Amino acid sequence: MVVVALKTEEEKQQEFLARIEAGEKIEADDWMPEEYRIALIKLISMHGISEIMGALPEKEWVPKAPSLRRKLGIMSKVQDEMGHGQLLLRVAEDLLKPYGKNRGDLMQDLFNEDLKFHNVFHMETNTWADAGLIGWLVDGAAIITQTNMLGASYGPYARALQRICAEEVFHAQHGESIILALAEGTPEQRAMIQESLNGWWESLLMFFGPASSQTTGASKQDVTIKYRIRTKTNEQLRQDFFDKYIPRILSLGLTIPDPTLRYNDEEKRWEYAQPDWNEFKKIIRNEGPRSQARLNLRRTSYEYNAWVRDALSAVIR
Amino acid sequence: MGRETTFYQEFEVFSKRTPTASFQHQFSLLAPNKEMALIMAQENFMRREPVVDIWIVNRKDIRGLEGEEKLILGRLNNKDYRETKGYGYLKKKWRHYEQQMFDEKEILSWAGDKK
Amino acid sequence: MSNERVALKELLFQLADDDFLISYRGSEWLGLAPHIEEDVAFSSITQDTMGHATMYYNLLEELGEGNADALAHLRSSAERRNSVLAERVNGEGYYMETPIYDWAYAVVRNYFYAQAKRVKIDSLRESSYAPLAEGAVKVSMELHYHLMHWRTWFTQLMSSTDEAEKRMTNAIKLVMEDFGDIFSYGQYKEDIESAGLIATEEELTKNWIAALTPVFESLGLAVPTIPAPVKNGRNGEHTDELDTAIATLSEVYRLDVEAVW
Repeated sequence: MVVVALKTEEEKQQEFLARIEAGEKIEADDWMPEEYRIALIKLISMHGISEIMGALPEKEWVPKAPSLRRKLGIMSKVQDEMGHGQLLLRVAEDLLKPYGKNRGDLMQDLFNEDLKFHNVFHMETNTWADAGLIGWLVDGAAIITQTNMLGASYGPYARALQRICAEEVFHAQHGESIILALAEGTPEQRAMIQESLNGWWESLLMFFGPASSQTTGASKQDVTIKYRIRTKTNEQLRQDFFDKYIPRILSLGLTIPDPTLRYNDEEKRWEYAQPDWNEFKKIIRNEGPRSQARLNLRRTSYEYNAWVRDALSAVIR
Repeated sequence: MGRETTFYQEFEVFSKRTPTASFQHQFSLLAPNKEMALIMAQENFMRREPVVDIWIVNRKDIRGLEGEEKLILGRLNNKDYRETKGYGYLKKKWRHYEQQMFDEKEILSWAGDKK
Repeated sequence: MSNERVALKELLFQLADDDFLISYRGSEWLGLAPHIEEDVAFSSITQDTMGHATMYYNLLEELGEGNADALAHLRSSAERRNSVLAERVNGEGYYMETPIYDWAYAVVRNYFYAQAKRVKIDSLRESSYAPLAEGAVKVSMELHYHLMHWRTWFTQLMSSTDEAEKRMTNAIKLVMEDFGDIFSYGQYKEDIESAGLIATEEELTKNWIAALTPVFESLGLAVPTIPAPVKNGRNGEHTDELDTAIATLSEVYRLDVEAVW
């Protein structure tokens, strides 16, 4: 304890950076710079709450899924999304302890719109093909960003991601299975996927966020890279997504709704039409097509169930 | 709606995969009490793996090492007298008596069956 | 068709439709339970239950009643044999908008249902129809957890706050109003019972009361009385709530019933 007292903030900071540069994992009870804690809280609480909100668009298709097997498959997938929310919120809750905040506060932050959820979950789902496309491509995009953080310097986050990514493999296959059934089906079924892809393409580009903070005025990518929470930039992740998924999309005979899309062989990167970043800014302000409806659903069910949480608080022992 | 000051308690969940396996830590969950924690544990963390037993431990009952306390774990690498590698020379000695050394592999192979 | 064959088919439809409809209602809850950890646990129970329905529909398919998915999705409400309790909505509002679901009702309905299912399954293990007896052994494995889960919720909410007790008492009343056909075999009672497929209505009712008695006694309560059915789901008598459920659950399937989804 004496040793601690003699260390300056500066020295502690240096030691901390040395630890993460040496590949060591930081644990919940370890000393950490405020900047690191805050970056983690922002990232992980948003990630966790996005899982909880992300359950809602797909949940719309759970009762409607077109066979017993599909009903079971999508139920289990949406259950996993709630489960991922549970894992991530637990990690965020432990980080929030010094501020005396808990899960209830995170929910209130969501309802007050201080805590935002991922832009992709503000969009509408219109057909069963959307449910398939979310599993295939939105989860595909999520796998790319999440695997990029598997080596995160914060141990509890890395361990949660390990569990999450293992389940994402099932999610991707669940989505592929729906899409392949439609792709090999009737002309109407094929048209459903094409329409779905047309509707979701921009959202898939926006998924990774803007290439630089100049686009929207703020981005947490710099600080997360500095602290070895992730390694790649938004644009690198988007390019990884193109590399992996464009050939598969085209192999099914689908058309990507961007006539300018091409691979630049010299620069080894995809050129593509930028999505409407003004629209993106609106979405992340909770002004997307389904932002308020989904918030409202979450808020209503949370508030209506408050009596259950009160009842459980009465049986704490 | 006011701020909820209590949000249940934190329970650590452990599970055993097979009858012969040791308990392994899984993750933590929020519940008001052990019974509630128990009925949520398996489906939250072991949905896709076999389980033969579950432990639920309230975090309040766990004493871990905090911050600088972890310094007590430091140890010099000079304790070969408590490890087999400090006794490797016996192999040569036994050879002198035309006997085999009983090493770890050999001794652990004695479980139950007579050779 | 022989009387025995009709009896078997009727019983299988009752078992299949019960588990299918109650798990459909469970699936509407997904993402909206009062506690995140509980959402995950509840969904596993819902999935297990829909898995049980699938087993029964498969048995019907083997008996030549048609494809299991078609049986689950396409039959009209008059053809359904589930208890009215299983088809009831979770609360006010359509799930695609902003529904208000009642957790007290969910706990009571599922607890009483799981206990009824337990006494049926115990009896079905001795069923004269071997494939059904084998199925019952499998279902039984997963029921232990369902019962423990709902019993824990039931007893804890019943001994928590005054408000919870009030809501639970109201939920018990609502659930019992629809409980009349749970142990009914409808118009095929005699054929089903004499074929040795399952125990009599009276015996199952007695076993259900006996199983619940210690739990109710520990709470200082008496097990509620099962009324005579107002509508008997076993005879195809249902509420509008079932029509809406069928329309939703088959919406995509009906776009093209020949297609592979």
